[in-house]
Amino acid sequence: MRKRTVRKKRKYKTYRCYDLRDMEQYSLCDAMRYLRAFEVGNPPATVKYDLAIKLRAYKGGPVIRNTIRLPFPVKTDTRIGVICPEGSPMAVEAQQLGAVAVGEESLFESIRAGNIPFNKLICHVDSQDALKKANLGKILGPKGLMPNPKTRTITSDVKATMQDLMGSDEYRERQGVVRMAIGQLGFTPQMLSENIKAMMSVVKEDISNIDETQPKALDEVVLSTTHGPGFSLDGTFSPKDESLKPEHLQSVM
Amino acid sequence: MVGVVRRMNQLKSQLVRIRIGPGAAVLPNDVTRIHLEFAKKINGGHMGPRKFWREALPRLKYWNPAIPMIVNRTEDQEGPAKMTLYFREAGATLRSDIPQPSSSTEGFAKAPAPVEGERAVTIEMKGRRSEAILKEFMDKTGAMEVQPTPQDEMQLQEAEELEARSKIDRERVRALIEGRKREKAMLAAAHAESAALKAEA
Repeated sequence: MRKRTVRKKRKYKTYRCYDLRDMEQYSLCDAMRYLRAFEVGNPPATVKYDLAIKLRAYKGGPVIRNTIRLPFPVKTDTRIGVICPEGSPMAVEAQQLGAVAVGEESLFESIRAGNIPFNKLICHVDSQDALKKANLGKILGPKGLMPNPKTRTITSDVKATMQDLMGSDEYRERQGVVRMAIGQLGFTPQMLSENIKAMMSVVKEDISNIDETQPKALDEVVLSTTHGPGFSLDGTFSPKDESLKPEHLQSVM
Repeated sequence: MVGVVRRMNQLKSQLVRIRIGPGAAVLPNDVTRIHLEFAKKINGGHMGPRKFWREALPRLKYWNPAIPMIVNRTEDQEGPAKMTLYFREAGATLRSDIPQPSSSTEGFAKAPAPVEGERAVTIEMKGRRSEAILKEFMDKTGAMEVQPTPQDEMQLQEAEELEARSKIDRERVRALIEGRKREKAMLAAAHAESAALKAEA
C-alpha cells in the first residue's frame, strides 16, 4: 500500500465564509410567502421568525453581545428577579414595577432550593458583595442568569434596568453568527421589516464598536421560521412577483 | 453555517415541491377562508385530514397567500374531521374586520359561523384518503390547478437526480466506514490475543 503523506490540517483563523454568488437571495415578502406556506396551520403565537446574521469574524477574540428593544416585541413573558437590600425603598419600587422575586438572603435561599420563578435577574451594586459571597454561580451561570456588569445586570439604577429589560431581548454571537427570534408568525411584512431594520442597525453599531485588531463585517442575513427553511435575504422589501402584494401576507394564520 | 451549495440544493428542492404537486391550485375570488378541524393523532380516521394538511395545504397557501387557512387540531380522537369552505355570495361585499380565530393545537379555533353575505360548505374528511379530500375540495371550490413551468419541471428533475445520487453516495460511505471499523476491531482483537499469549508464556 502506498503510504499517504499526512498533511497537517490547516487551521483557519476566521470562521469560514462562502462565496455568496451561488446563493439565491430573496426579498422579504417573497421569503415570507414561502415561510407562511411552510407554517400553515401552526398556532401563530408559538411559531417565530428567526434571524441569523452571519459575520466575517475571527475565531476567539471579543464577541458581539448586547440587548435590544425591538419595535414589536416577540416575547411578552419577561419575569424579573431583583437582588437588592431587603426592605429598602428600592425593593418596594422593584415590586411595584412587577418584579416576581425581590430580596437578598431570602432570594439566595430560594434559588438554592431550586425555586427560580424569574427568567431575568438583576442585582443592585449595594448587594454585589452579598451576591459574590452567596456562591450561586454554579446554579445561575448555566442558566445565563448570573448578574454581570458586562450584560448591565449589575446596576445602580434598578428602575431603569428593569424598564430596559421589559420587552428587550438579549443576543450574542456564537460561532460567528448572531441568532435571534425576530417576530411572531402573525406579524405583517411591515412589522417584521421594522424589527429586522432595528436589529441590523444595532448589530452594525456593535460591529463598528469592536476592537480594531480583530475587525468584524457583515456577511449574510438569513430568515427562517420554527419549522421552515432558511432564506438568504437580499435587503429589499417588495416582492419580485408582481401578482403578490404585501397586503396578501397579513391574513390570519 | 452550512455551506452555500448544500443549503441551496436543500432549499431549491423544498421550494419546487411547494410550487408544484398535489394542491398547487389557484382558488377563485369568491373563496374567503378555509377552516379545517381534526384530531392530533391518526387513529379514528384522522390520517387523511392530517396528510391533507401536511401535503396539500402548504401548496394551497403558497398559491393563495391572502386566504386565511385555519387548522384546529383537537385532543378528541373520536371527534369530527371536517373542512369548512367559506364563499362570498354573488354580489355581496363583506366587512373587512370579520372576527377570525387563528390556528390552534388545543381545539380553541372552532369553525366560525358564516357572516352576512357568506355561505359555508363542509367536506367530511373522516376516514378518507388525502387524495379523495383534495379531489372533493377542487370540485367544490372550482380551483384552477397550476401547471408547472418548464423551469419548475427541470428543477424538480434535478432535485430528484441529486437525491438518487446522494442515496448511492450514502451507501458507499456507509460501507467504507463499516469496513474501516471492522478492520480496526480485528486489529484490536489480534493485539489482545497476542498480549494474552505473551502473558501466558
